[in-house]
Amino acid sequence: METLIVPASMDNLTSIRNYVKEAASAAGVSDEKLYQLQLAADEIATNIITYGYSGKGGEISVRGEIEDDALTITLEDSGPAFDPRERELPSEEDLSKPLEERAIGGLGIFLAVQGVDRFDYRREGGKNVNALTVFRHSAS
Amino acid sequence: MSFQLSIDERQNEARITLSGELDAAAAPQFKDTIEKVASASPKRLVLFMDELAFLASAGLRVLIFARQKMGDVDIYVVGSKGPVLNTLKMSGFHQSVYLQDSYAT
Repeated sequence: METLIVPASMDNLTSIRNYVKEAASAAGVSDEKLYQLQLAADEIATNIITYGYSGKGGEISVRGEIEDDALTITLEDSGPAFDPRERELPSEEDLSKPLEERAIGGLGIFLAVQGVDRFDYRREGGKNVNALTVFRHSAS
Repeated sequence: MSFQLSIDERQNEARITLSGELDAAAAPQFKDTIEKVASASPKRLVLFMDELAFLASAGLRVLIFARQKMGDVDIYVVGSKGPVLNTLKMSGFHQSVYLQDSYAT
């Protein structure tokens, strides 16, 4: 699929989700997986906008790749190196805490990582490359 | 589908109907609304989510904000379904809010 390149702004989250929808439609993934992929891409992009570029702007590129058994959405940014997999995720204990005792951070990446079938990260050519994969057939 | 909300303030109760996609771009609007209704110190916050198609963590953080801002308010989430309901459960929020299919008017 053609790569989508958008300025790193919250206003473009809808475009990113729409791009994921088109890719998922072309790959024939289930509605449930489409949603999880949209949520993961949305959360990673939000993180890039808020923390990666610290609200100062930059670009996010989004690319969909359909393989025999999987659909991968790759998000790239030029912010400082950040591997979401190294972010400490909320534990079972954290998630069972009442809301008044909840920490504000970590939920977005938790939802992104938990929702997809595979979450890969690499630093390449000064860019963060986040690859979100769902399998195309529910049996796999 | 863009995010929309409407408010219905009653005695001791604030009702907010959410529809569309609640992402990080829309969350500030939701947060502003919570701040507005919090000023009346309602005992119940009722959130109708039948028409909410998308819920990101930014929206969940507003629920945390609501709890912290309004103290011991009871939070009801009404009509959430499918992946939105799933996100609430995955995040453990179902243990802190009352999840209901419907709400007596």
